Amino acid sequence: MHLLRALPDIFRVSFAGVVAYRAEMVIWILTSTMPLIMLALWNAVVDEAPLMGFGPTEITRYFAATLLVRQLTSSWLLWELNEEIRTGSLSMKLLRPMHPLWVHAADMLAAMPTRMVVLLPMLLALVAWRPELLALPDAWALAVFLPSVFLAWLLGFLVQAAFACLAFWLEQTQGLFALWFGAWMLLSGYLAPLEMFPEAAQPLLGVLPFRGMLAAPVELLTGRATPQTALVDLGVQLGWTVVGFAVVRALWNRGLARYGAYGA
Amino acid sequence: MIEARQLTKVYRVPVKKPGLWASVRSLWDRETRDVHAVDHLDLTIGEGERVGFLGPNGAGKTTTLKMLTGLLHPTSGSCTVAGHTPRDRHPDFLRSVTLVMGQKQQLLWDLPASETFVLNRALFDLDRVAFQRSLDELVELLDLSPFIDQPVRNLSLGQRMRCELAAALLHRPKVLFLDEPTIGLDVQVQAAVRTFVAEYNRRNGATVMLTSHDMKDVASIAERIVLIDGGTIRFDGPLQQFRQRFGGGRRLVVRGVEDLGDLGFTSAEGRASATVEPDQVNGLLQRVLERHPDAEVTVEDPPLEEVLATAFGGKEG
Repeated sequence: MHLLRALPDIFRVSFAGVVAYRAEMVIWILTSTMPLIMLALWNAVVDEAPLMGFGPTEITRYFAATLLVRQLTSSWLLWELNEEIRTGSLSMKLLRPMHPLWVHAADMLAAMPTRMVVLLPMLLALVAWRPELLALPDAWALAVFLPSVFLAWLLGFLVQAAFACLAFWLEQTQGLFALWFGAWMLLSGYLAPLEMFPEAAQPLLGVLPFRGMLAAPVELLTGRATPQTALVDLGVQLGWTVVGFAVVRALWNRGLARYGAYGA
Repeated sequence: MIEARQLTKVYRVPVKKPGLWASVRSLWDRETRDVHAVDHLDLTIGEGERVGFLGPNGAGKTTTLKMLTGLLHPTSGSCTVAGHTPRDRHPDFLRSVTLVMGQKQQLLWDLPASETFVLNRALFDLDRVAFQRSLDELVELLDLSPFIDQPVRNLSLGQRMRCELAAALLHRPKVLFLDEPTIGLDVQVQAAVRTFVAEYNRRNGATVMLTSHDMKDVASIAERIVLIDGGTIRFDGPLQQFRQRFGGGRRLVVRGVEDLGDLGFTSAEGRASATVEPDQVNGLLQRVLERHPDAEVTVEDPPLEEVLATAFGGKEG
């Protein structure tokens, strides 16, 4: 209840922060426009002959959805929390009666409207180029998209929280996260639709956490999901979310116990 | 209000010898040593007390404050503050205490301090009326209104510290832990902070535990001194008793003369002063008056800095 009462004020102050850092935010958003580059590459590939059911329209729809979902689900918790643990500025946040991770979560969500404002011209340009993108998916898919994209965001947040918590033990955690990020780019559908992977790899891709962090909501938006695959995806997302919470909780509690050997 | 029993914190610190071979060796053979930052500390502080927690650098002051605020978990022993075990970080505990660290800030850097205040209202779940009353009082006492709406990055250190104090006290904590609250501030702001802390204690009956290298802070805020060195308590008693125990000497000050070096006086700013044992005061006074019959001589307690230097046995305070 306390969290719900606090949310409007946290949002408002976080939003003021986003506005103060607007230039940095725009640059940050522009650096995560990899899907547009991938679109240009794949467009050239499928222009001559469709590949695994992806023609120019499908591939544009796929990467437009990827761009949108990526913006809706990205966090920068790793860098923030890592810095707070390393410099000891986490101490001041630990003295407030609300878990610092909740405050960070609200902070990330408060940036969403600004991200959408920057993203909108890019999406409009894509629609102008290929007007068929405007075809909306089925109502059920849109309805499932909301929990799916939220879980994708939450999973990304928890993964970053877990890696950031390693800063309680290690000097640098960004290097380790880069390894994870490499795997994520390949296995989440960020660089290529997962349907392009060999048939034999599909069961494994289905149960790894990466798919639920991007491809699952993207396929809902692009009309490539069936109610059955959507349900399985939601189940896998929920499962990994539970695992993520447990891991972060364990790392956080153990980390706090050894926090601040000097200078915290 | 604050109770510590056999409170101990041991840090395990890696030891690395210089040289390439030592670096390679440390990959598989990591040598460590234990540092007893706080060693079986017993302490009881009652409600409304104002305690100066003193000691040389590395004595364990900040470590103790961090354990009492729940930021550090004790290696052994126990402590309770406002009826809670700090390491549990119970929301009611966090609403009862505050920690102001002169070298750390909670204000949001690129936003006006007023935004941090609003955020703290939300995070501490303060009722709007109580928040406004608290804020109005702090704005008045700390004279924040001229700069409360300017981005924190544009404020002077003194203005920022006053805003930090306000942010730390909006929830009206019952226990104040102040770690070097006046460090780096100019004389005027230091005085304002001291007056404010004393006034906050008077108005709210709050318990204050203060560490400071500035003895003016201690002299004007603390009524009781706890001296810690090597992680253990070396003295615990009233300020006056502290002066008597470690500052047993008396200080003779002679104004307007500077040629008393041969009698053990040091001169500065038109006055000469010397600290001697109480039974030597009369003899020295006589010799000064023989040389300067009209000299203006006063006998004073030595300044707290000197008392502390004696107490620390020459270590840097």
